[in-house]
Amino acid sequence: MRDVGIVGAGITACKGRWVERTYYGLSQMAVKAALEDACISTKDVDAVVYGIYNDIFELSAIPEHPLQGIIGMANKPGLRVTSGGATGSYAMLTGYSLVASGLYDVVMCLGVEKATDCFDFTSQTSTPEVIKTIGWSGDTFFERELGWTASDSYAEVVLAYMDEYPEDLSDEVSAKITEILCEHVQNNPYAQRYGERVTAEMAMNSRYVVYPFKLLETCVYTEGAGVILFAAKDKAEAMCKNAGVPPIWVTGLGASNEHHVAGKDLRHKVMHRIMSDHLAAKAAYKMAGIKNPLKEIQVIELHDAFIKQLQITMAEMGFTKLGRSDDLVHKGLMTAGGPLLVNPSGGLTYGGHFVGGSNMFSCWSARRELISRELHRGLIHGTGSTIAQYGCVMIIERRS
Amino acid sequence: MTKEKVIPLHMIPDVGSEIIEVGHERYLQTNEAMFTFYKRTKGEHSPFFLALKERKVILGGKCPKCKLVRVPPFEVYCPECNFAELELIEMPDTGVMNSTPPITYFAHSLFQQQVPFGRGRILLEGADTALPIHVYTTKGVLTPRIFKKGTPVKIVFRDQRQGNPTDIFAVPLSELKAPQRRKKGLLESELDWASAKEPKISRPTKKTREHLGVVVDQLQDLAKTAARSERAQKDLAGWKRTIQVKTDGGPFVIQIAQKKLKFKEGTVKKADFVMVVRDPRLFQDWMNFKGSLTNAIIAERLWINKNVEFVTVFKLDRIPRSVRRSNA
Repeated sequence: MRDVGIVGAGITACKGRWVERTYYGLSQMAVKAALEDACISTKDVDAVVYGIYNDIFELSAIPEHPLQGIIGMANKPGLRVTSGGATGSYAMLTGYSLVASGLYDVVMCLGVEKATDCFDFTSQTSTPEVIKTIGWSGDTFFERELGWTASDSYAEVVLAYMDEYPEDLSDEVSAKITEILCEHVQNNPYAQRYGERVTAEMAMNSRYVVYPFKLLETCVYTEGAGVILFAAKDKAEAMCKNAGVPPIWVTGLGASNEHHVAGKDLRHKVMHRIMSDHLAAKAAYKMAGIKNPLKEIQVIELHDAFIKQLQITMAEMGFTKLGRSDDLVHKGLMTAGGPLLVNPSGGLTYGGHFVGGSNMFSCWSARRELISRELHRGLIHGTGSTIAQYGCVMIIERRS
Repeated sequence: MTKEKVIPLHMIPDVGSEIIEVGHERYLQTNEAMFTFYKRTKGEHSPFFLALKERKVILGGKCPKCKLVRVPPFEVYCPECNFAELELIEMPDTGVMNSTPPITYFAHSLFQQQVPFGRGRILLEGADTALPIHVYTTKGVLTPRIFKKGTPVKIVFRDQRQGNPTDIFAVPLSELKAPQRRKKGLLESELDWASAKEPKISRPTKKTREHLGVVVDQLQDLAKTAARSERAQKDLAGWKRTIQVKTDGGPFVIQIAQKKLKFKEGTVKKADFVMVVRDPRLFQDWMNFKGSLTNAIIAERLWINKNVEFVTVFKLDRIPRSVRRSNA
């Protein structure tokens, strides 16, 4: 396996709706930004991996096909990855693998989603139709007709965790984490909720959408695009020298997909665990040589579909113990001055969640923090599918 | 009689387009849909669904080697045992909640008329996997206190069954009488459904009238600022409702029309739905982000007579934040 570095990244602004652009236009914007960031052109890029989650959002069964030419990649290899909420992470895993394997030297990962063109004409709003569109992702024989949604399936996991650990996941801590993310988002002008001020009290008192998830502790729906450029060692060093930025190396990757059916033991989904996150992190740590993640990782960009899920995922990834996720705040692990910078982008709750590219957005942010703050190591996490079935973790490093 | 359609007719928009202005630019958008019709086989799942429909029986799949019992029988072979073929067995119709089930208040567009609803998983006696199922209470509105991990439940069958997951639902065993608990294939029509009764309120006193007066004044101020808020107007666009609110301080009316809100004390002859709240100051909390109307309903402090109007409650719940964001 060859060393692989990130040589460039670019994102569009995250917006609740992009009336001014289709997903073609958003893709061009993000590609342009990433190429400018890396000071290269598409001539330098050998292949492209697309992260696009849901055909219905884009109104096309092969949504990537029109992108190949308009992003300047005609006549080169291109493949689409779709893995639910973890689409972006899995697309980057694929992009990394194509370079590490030696097949290509430079690979572009483009994640894009156009979600809120969906519209419910009955309520005259987008959100119920966006949720319905995601609703086609549930088990189509036994669950979809029961009103399955991403929210209620993640709520199942969180409630099961609360059954097991009734003293953890207090509403006060979840609200405080929400406030922290909202403070972080003020440093991200690309964020959907940039400029919005949400206090812990407001989060505490916001309405339930699906019990126990409250509106201000739930990710937003976003339209946007993000691009990450991966390159093999020699080219990465040359490109980064030319661009005047340090290469950020991918040193660990891990992924796991659980069973989609709940059962009594690990032959099926154990509902109070997110084993996908646990196993993905474990594999990524092993590859990166990480023994103690709390001491060895400084920046985390975690797929916070829901704040309480963020807390469980942090425990599953070893930053605190299962049943002690409230320590993230109580022990100051992710509060100002603490050892971990979690979701400096504002996360998916305040930064934005354009599903196919959300994890590229996270990667863009983690890389930005490593470079600007001169930190050593970051973690990017993606979760997806029913009952948090999919987990994917990538470790990135800046070498001094 | 009109037959039910696979796509509800009321959801289908007319062919059309419109121009949206952003900044000084004009953009065109068109009404479209992505739809495909199916005659979809239930294939290997057919015995399970046919047993629901025709025999009021739940089937499981038992592995002859590891003895694991999967409910529903979602696979033909056991992947743990070199794909040994499962044997279909009849399951008991009682069990326990595998974990506390979530309750959906904000559903997707096909389920807007059914909120709040609970979707959980039950471990039937002898099963190793949990059956996804709707959970219902016969005692009024579903709240988070009714179903917990381990709550004993019984499966009830719809009177009219199509061979779908919605042919069955679970109710707490504690809500059933002994003969109902014992009966195999218990039908929905055999349950005692309590109808939700409008809560009683007190006659207004001088003090509670004053409270109401202050609240309505503040609500009218909110209506004025909402009328200047682009976000709030967007929240209310295309919506028209008249809501009669009954409180201990007397009645008042909320009107939503033409992207605007109106509040006035008194009654109307015809309201789309009724809200009942003892203390009108609940609406002050709502305006000041100290509590949403949705959460007040969940906490049983606010009552509405039509669950389908949760969609209107959601629209109202957006207003205080939209106003604040517009003013930021």
